[in-house]
Amino acid sequence: MIPPALPPPAIVAPEPGPTVSAALTDANVRVTSAFSGAQIVLYGAVFDPETRPSDVVVIVRGPDQPIRIARKVRVAGLWVNSRPVVFEGAPGFYMAASSRPLTEIASFSTLRRLGAGIDHLPMNAPEEERIETRYGVRDVVVSRLGGDYLDWRRAVIRLKEKADLYATDHEGVRFVDRGLFRAEIDLPTSAPIGEYQTEIILFQDGEPVSRRARTITVEKAGLERWLFLFANERPWLYGIVSVLIALTSGWLASVVFRRR
Amino acid sequence: MDIYLPIAEVSVNAGILVLLGAVVGFISGLFGIGGGFLMTPILLWMGIPPVVAVASEANHVAASSASSVISYSRKRQVDFRMGGVLAAGGAVGALLGVEVFRWLRLMGQADLVVSLSYLIFLGLIGGLMLVESVGSVLRQRRGQPPAKRRDRRPVWLYGLPFKVRFPRSRLYISVIPPVILGVFVGILSAIMGVGGGFILVPAMVYILRMPAGVVVGTSLFQIIITTSLASILQAGRNQSVDIVLATLLLLGGVLGAQFGARASSRFRAEELRALLGLIVLIMGLQMGLVLFITPEDPFILVGSGK
Repeated sequence: MIPPALPPPAIVAPEPGPTVSAALTDANVRVTSAFSGAQIVLYGAVFDPETRPSDVVVIVRGPDQPIRIARKVRVAGLWVNSRPVVFEGAPGFYMAASSRPLTEIASFSTLRRLGAGIDHLPMNAPEEERIETRYGVRDVVVSRLGGDYLDWRRAVIRLKEKADLYATDHEGVRFVDRGLFRAEIDLPTSAPIGEYQTEIILFQDGEPVSRRARTITVEKAGLERWLFLFANERPWLYGIVSVLIALTSGWLASVVFRRR
Repeated sequence: MDIYLPIAEVSVNAGILVLLGAVVGFISGLFGIGGGFLMTPILLWMGIPPVVAVASEANHVAASSASSVISYSRKRQVDFRMGGVLAAGGAVGALLGVEVFRWLRLMGQADLVVSLSYLIFLGLIGGLMLVESVGSVLRQRRGQPPAKRRDRRPVWLYGLPFKVRFPRSRLYISVIPPVILGVFVGILSAIMGVGGGFILVPAMVYILRMPAGVVVGTSLFQIIITTSLASILQAGRNQSVDIVLATLLLLGGVLGAQFGARASSRFRAEELRALLGLIVLIMGLQMGLVLFITPEDPFILVGSGK
């Protein structure tokens, strides 16, 4: 895949206000048979004619992946899964790194508007919702999960954090020199394939004053890519080939051993 | 050496997989079974997604069964006609099983059904095998004559229509019981990722009353056909066969199966059956345990994309 062309550098004079700039050590992660996760370093700088206190927040959002989650319930003494609830709009990977805890950087409503932080991920379970009229108010969205809704949501985040797919790091953005900062993005082996939108936001006085976006592409490469495409584009042929490999090697082994 | 599996999308140690394949292959050759009931749970514990583990394991079972069936066939211990009838049922069962598994996954109940199937079938058959074989080992030790086998064949086996001659098994019975047996085993092979030998072998002995000499070879022959088909169906319908995983497993598997087949002549049949019964029973209980233990986390992610 050809990475999207970067917009031409602006020739206009730099804006008078503060700006943030950032770059990635590696914008293209190749998943080959030796892949065991990746660490990408993001470094950047804050340009500010004045010296106001600055906070930087880095948000990495992987491709959307619907999440199916079930609750263990006890039925006749056995632990079984409930009917799964599907959460949509949740990313397959999410990281929020900041120079200070997010709640100290900006207000709840600002963070919610920017979708910054795990608590502000706009994910919901549309299949469980219905729209009805309550207390004379029309079009009220009601979830079948009722008061447990937050439990379910928290469980999604907890399980994803356990799998290293979601992370919040209050000290993830470190200023190494005046105006110069760096952050590390750790992709686990299970990180989904696709485009990762990375957003770098500069906060001053609780307001976002400058934003930059970068894209990380995670793609299968080499033999991994070839096998993956083969399995998905020619599934029946792939199945026949894998069975032929199995039967042939079984037959070969018995021939080799008979000779001895 | 860690290797990233293209379909399972996890990183595993290649050496451990080959070694595991060899150990399970050895057991498979020793007892004349596919070994799927051992390998599938191990793959699950290693973190391979259940769908991929079940589908790729069918491929591995096909390979190690092919490796040992050839030596059985040289000794004329395969009833190809009976195997064919069983496999015809098995094909229908595999088709059904792949669809049932798809539906169970959507309902989030795949884990439950897999655990329950292991607990019930492995627990029951392992327990029965253990009791029966320990009994006969003890009788031998005490110098008593072996228990008389009830040689009277059940009437229903002969009363049913569509009778066919099976010369190698010295049987003239209806095809309905073997076809039903085949369908049942085919469904299990798609759901549990097993060949079904641990069910077929006792069923052939106790229900179809086939001579002991041809049972193992015939079961392996039918397993090859059913698992090959299940493997192609899983790849075609669910894109869930990981060829790298299957190849690593079968590298060790086919070699292990040959050594196992050689070692089998050094043991007594009853002792082998007792040992196999014990392994089957432990595996069934281990897989079923999860149903009784209070889970650490009350929530569980049940597969995302695929």
